[in-house]
Amino acid sequence: MRAPLDQSGDVKMSVDDLFLGFGRRQVLHGVSAHFPKGQVTALIGPTGCGKTTLLRCLNRLHDSRPGVRIDGRVLLNGEDIYHRSTDVRELRRRVGMLFQRPNPFPQSIRENVTLGARIHGLWARGETESRAEAVLRDVGLWDAVRDRLSGTPFMLSGGQQQLLCLARALAVEPEVLLLDEPTSSLDPHSTARIEELIDSLKGRMTVVFVTHNLQQAERRADQVVFMLDGEAVEAAPARQFFAGPTDARSQAYLEGRPA
Amino acid sequence: MARRARGLSDRIFWGLCALALALVILPALAIIGSLLAQAWPALGGQLFTSTTAAHGLQNAILGSLLIVLGVLLVAGPIGILGGIYLAEFAHPRRGSLIRLGYETLAGIPSIVVGFVAYLVLDIEFHWGFSLLAGILALSAIALPYVVKTTEVALLQVPTTLRDGAVALGLSRLTALRKAVLPPALPGIASGLVVAMAICVGETAPLLYTVGFSDANPTLSLFRHPVGYLTYVVYNNTILPSNLDHQIAAAAGVVLIVLLLILIGIGRLVSRWAARYSASLPT
Repeated sequence: MRAPLDQSGDVKMSVDDLFLGFGRRQVLHGVSAHFPKGQVTALIGPTGCGKTTLLRCLNRLHDSRPGVRIDGRVLLNGEDIYHRSTDVRELRRRVGMLFQRPNPFPQSIRENVTLGARIHGLWARGETESRAEAVLRDVGLWDAVRDRLSGTPFMLSGGQQQLLCLARALAVEPEVLLLDEPTSSLDPHSTARIEELIDSLKGRMTVVFVTHNLQQAERRADQVVFMLDGEAVEAAPARQFFAGPTDARSQAYLEGRPA
Repeated sequence: MARRARGLSDRIFWGLCALALALVILPALAIIGSLLAQAWPALGGQLFTSTTAAHGLQNAILGSLLIVLGVLLVAGPIGILGGIYLAEFAHPRRGSLIRLGYETLAGIPSIVVGFVAYLVLDIEFHWGFSLLAGILALSAIALPYVVKTTEVALLQVPTTLRDGAVALGLSRLTALRKAVLPPALPGIASGLVVAMAICVGETAPLLYTVGFSDANPTLSLFRHPVGYLTYVVYNNTILPSNLDHQIAAAAGVVLIVLLLILIGIGRLVSRWAARYSASLPT
């Protein structure tokens, strides 16, 4: 079935009747959803409903997995990212991702931030240092790392490592940012910091985040997509959704009852 | 009562652990001790300045180093690239075929490898007793270890690191170089060290392929037999004179020192390689 869609405003990305399976296991059963430009969308739903699987479809992170079958369309600015002519590496630059656990590269802190921009040829030779500083300032990490840019990122706290990963993702100037439960392994302070950053990205970046924290979705999302058993059951503006979802299954989930 | 029983079983357990530790360490100490005792009269500068023709070991030490260096240059790159291919690029079915190949190679007794190398390289190719024949024979023995440890080290790198690199739009090669390989390097380096250590200690394949020479080795790869340490241990033991026996023991001591140096180098390389990977995400 198709979820009711909020068609107001520009659509940055959309998923159209998307099916996905690993071998014999079907994970997504015809998901359709829209991600409005410059807005923050929260993907919520019970564990195993396909939120992360859907999120990873948006930058083709399933590509190299053996036995994966994908059917349907994923559009970025109206163009199918699964089309043969897609430059996958450029797609992943445009659609960045932050993961559940911090995963800085085993390189210096500086290299973590500059590597992507250098590979994608974004920064001029002379401006690397200043651009790196700007990105680190953006995520509020500069003061903590300015004296140890050549050091290992693993000396940083978990929250700082996640901020570094965010800086790494932002450094390549993505249009869409995907976040897969980005705060589930962080302390409350770092969580608040990441959430503030998500807020600050509103308007200039399209954000899609997966979360199990309903308060977080309510606090930070403009739109909520509720998923159940590999389908997008309901999509609605966050305020409306949390005030009273229209689908009985969404209602049951919010109340902690089995659907 | 229960507490006392628990204290007793604790003590028994720790006692067994200590016993096991002693059983591991004591034989090693016994071997090194008796070697040192036997080699004592012969240990001195002349080991390094004279050849085996004059009760020294110079040619054997140089030969062993040369052979191990050759194996490092041949089996190192091939083994590491093979391991990378298996872990990162191989189709599962082709991968399992290659795995079967190197596991079989690892199972062939070294004397058989030496014999085949002798028939093919020394005889058929007319290389004679030669440095290269020995290096290739030992490389065939070292290769499975290098491939296996490289593959295992890469497979232990957390998936989330690969995901992070791929999600940033890096090519597979850049992802490998910047994200996946660094944390695997310590494992790869220790695999190389184990392979080198095995080669330093091999005798049978070298008996067939490089022969032995009392003269210092040259860099010529063909038709020049080369001296090496394990031959001295093997051969001098069956010679009649006491001095010969002492030289055999001294060669054993030098072999062990060489192994320790190899292990030390391996640790240094590992530590350098892991300088950014103090603790990795799981």
